[in-house]
Amino acid sequence: MKLSDIMGYANLAVYAEVAMVIFLIVFLAIAVRLWLPGRQQALRDAARLPLDDDPTPAATPRGSTHG
Amino acid sequence: MSSAVLPMEGAAASPRLESFSYDDEIVRKFLWATFIWGLVGMLVGLIVALQLANPIFNQTEWLSFGRLRPLHTNAVIFAFAGNAFFTGAYYSTQRLLKARMFSDALSKFHFWGWQAIIVSAALTLPLGFTQAKEYAELEWPIDIAIAVVWVAFGINFVGTMVKRRERHLYVALWFYVASIVTVAILHIFNNLSMPAGLFKSYSIYAGVQDAFMQWWYGHNAVAFFLTTPFLGLMYYFMPKAAEGPVFSYKLSILHFWSLVFLYIWAGPHHLHYTALPEWASTVGMLFSVMLWAPSWGGMINGLLTLRGAWHKVAEDPILKFFVLAVTAYGMSTFEGPLLSIKSVNALAHYTDWIIAHVHTGALGWNGFLTFGMVYWLLPRLFQTPIYSKRLMELHFWIATFGILLYIVAIYSAGVTQGLMWRAFDETGRLAYPDFVETVVRLLPMYWLRVAGGSLYIVGMLLFGWNILMTWRKRPAKYEVPVITAPALAKKYVPEPSHVGAPVPAGLWARFAAAGWHRTWERMPITFTVLTTIAVVVASLFEIIPTFLIRSNVPTIATVQPYTPLELAGRDLYIAEGCFNCHSQMVRPFRHETERFGEYSKPGESVYEHPFLWGSRRIGPDLARVGGKYPHLWHVRHFENPPSITARSIMPAYPHFLTKTLDFEQIQSRVDAMAMLGVPYGDAVNQAPAMARAQATEIAAEIERQGGPAGLGDKQIVAMVAYMQRLGMDLKRQPTTVGVAK
Repeated sequence: MKLSDIMGYANLAVYAEVAMVIFLIVFLAIAVRLWLPGRQQALRDAARLPLDDDPTPAATPRGSTHG
Repeated sequence: MSSAVLPMEGAAASPRLESFSYDDEIVRKFLWATFIWGLVGMLVGLIVALQLANPIFNQTEWLSFGRLRPLHTNAVIFAFAGNAFFTGAYYSTQRLLKARMFSDALSKFHFWGWQAIIVSAALTLPLGFTQAKEYAELEWPIDIAIAVVWVAFGINFVGTMVKRRERHLYVALWFYVASIVTVAILHIFNNLSMPAGLFKSYSIYAGVQDAFMQWWYGHNAVAFFLTTPFLGLMYYFMPKAAEGPVFSYKLSILHFWSLVFLYIWAGPHHLHYTALPEWASTVGMLFSVMLWAPSWGGMINGLLTLRGAWHKVAEDPILKFFVLAVTAYGMSTFEGPLLSIKSVNALAHYTDWIIAHVHTGALGWNGFLTFGMVYWLLPRLFQTPIYSKRLMELHFWIATFGILLYIVAIYSAGVTQGLMWRAFDETGRLAYPDFVETVVRLLPMYWLRVAGGSLYIVGMLLFGWNILMTWRKRPAKYEVPVITAPALAKKYVPEPSHVGAPVPAGLWARFAAAGWHRTWERMPITFTVLTTIAVVVASLFEIIPTFLIRSNVPTIATVQPYTPLELAGRDLYIAEGCFNCHSQMVRPFRHETERFGEYSKPGESVYEHPFLWGSRRIGPDLARVGGKYPHLWHVRHFENPPSITARSIMPAYPHFLTKTLDFEQIQSRVDAMAMLGVPYGDAVNQAPAMARAQATEIAAEIERQGGPAGLGDKQIVAMVAYMQRLGMDLKRQPTTVGVAK
């Protein structure tokens, strides 16, 4: 008996649906978590990370990037 | 690893401060490579555009369309966009993590290794060494080199995350991580092949499965080489240029996870109405349509990052480049799902519509994001004000008009050809039965494309001039600022904003405060592993059924392996890149079966290592060409296509008639195929002799038909053998079949 026969009889189609449901749940959990009140300040801080990182000599007339 | 550790006096109470500097030398190297390869890739693009507008531009064997087109795509994707991604990633990663790259040696290895790979691609593709899989054309030794260099980059990247001094991993880094791991997986699994010599190999997959793997790879090469890395760059460099944080960090997180979850499933939309099983193409379509949401979420997030800074867009060319880039991202990700809908795809597939779609994304999104990023980086990397802001403005407008001219022309070409193929006259016959009619109608638009592309290249030259002149004003010695930052404590200590928070009551609140997602983000290796799992699991659930459920590829009794000579012809077909213009996949539409013949079945391509279904019809489909014309027709046609079809734009292949076929080499080819499970029978011992016998027959037939004598040992007989075999299996009677004669 070949592997493909075994896989054929195993009826794995349902696993793909299970995987999709798991992905959906993980995704919803991530989404819900984002809007919880306790995290808002941390997220605001994280969003500013690119602006607080650069001590390179200011070579342009642009303003400095202070958070 | 040159960061010195200096314990600071008087800092005993706070975490230990460390001093280090960023490696900007590597960023400067990648920046130069971005420009140089970008220019080369676009110039090759201009040549192939000219070749389509007029075949006179196909002058030599090595620089004909079929060989140069993969060089163009590989150069702009992996050399231009690749080096652009590395430029931005090496600059931003070090700063976001407050750490120098893990290893300077690995950074250098990555840089020089990648450039060496590009050079080897530029040499091998014109020589005809190709695996015949789009964006994965490079042969196996180069594929191994790519894997090694990519893994070195991955180690360097993860190593930097491990030794970082910033607790939170900013969202741009997530996009980089997802890109690095997914590209590695895609590259390795799509390129698994059986070598048949140093520069020849056959995909271990065949037919439907190979097509499936290729477009799982091909679509995700777009997703994880041209989209996610550049989104990472967008999330870093747009806030920098706009001098304000991203519009919504939450939206960026949703954008990330939904792209990772959805993209990996979308590949089969490249194979609608082909011999791919129906369920797979439906899955591909549904997931592609779902991609609308996160893609537009991301685009809106990018554009709204400019909130409060819109007045600056008018005067700041960098912001202009970014705005157009993000707009192009929005346009092409709107169009992508649209094209994945089967009924739209029925019209657009195999036409220039896809080429227009790709160039909106590549020229607009990847190109303009790169230009904006590089212009922002120039004064910082070369530590001198930029040479000319006016040239930047000029570059922006010239390139924008170039894109418009290009895509408007090519959209029109695509829709025109798609409609002409399916047009019937009042008697129910094809309105344009002569395929070449549907090609010559496009030539004026091909000339407009040449004009549009040329404008874009003029912009590229201005870009290069600005880089060069800024570089020339650089200081004698670059300043290397020393940065101090506290080391990360081994154990996570809540940040001050969390310390005063009241103890959460209730199950839900405690779950929320547990901060599990933040904990993931804090553990770079765990995060990388989880992202990998998401990608692998999604891939497996889509791929496994195609590979292992037998009913997905019904076998056809009369389908036999190619004879050794036909196989040699097929190898020439691959080497010349014929698949770049000719499909071998008749879709089940009346206008296609009328034009080409019986529609293609999955069982027909069980010995097709690799599959040659094609993705564009600049010439007619060849799946049913066998037996359609006499041998001499093919000889004359290869020698000089216009002598058969007056207005043909096909390059001439006179060298087929003069070059000797390497009969001895055929044995190694047959052996490799046999190793892959193709039932070759006697041919595994006597391939050259069998090939010679068939070649003599064909040469005699050509002579009988009034053609030139003495072609028996020339490449042309292999090509004729292959052409005459295509589609013949279905016409054979099961009883008369022998095993690979």
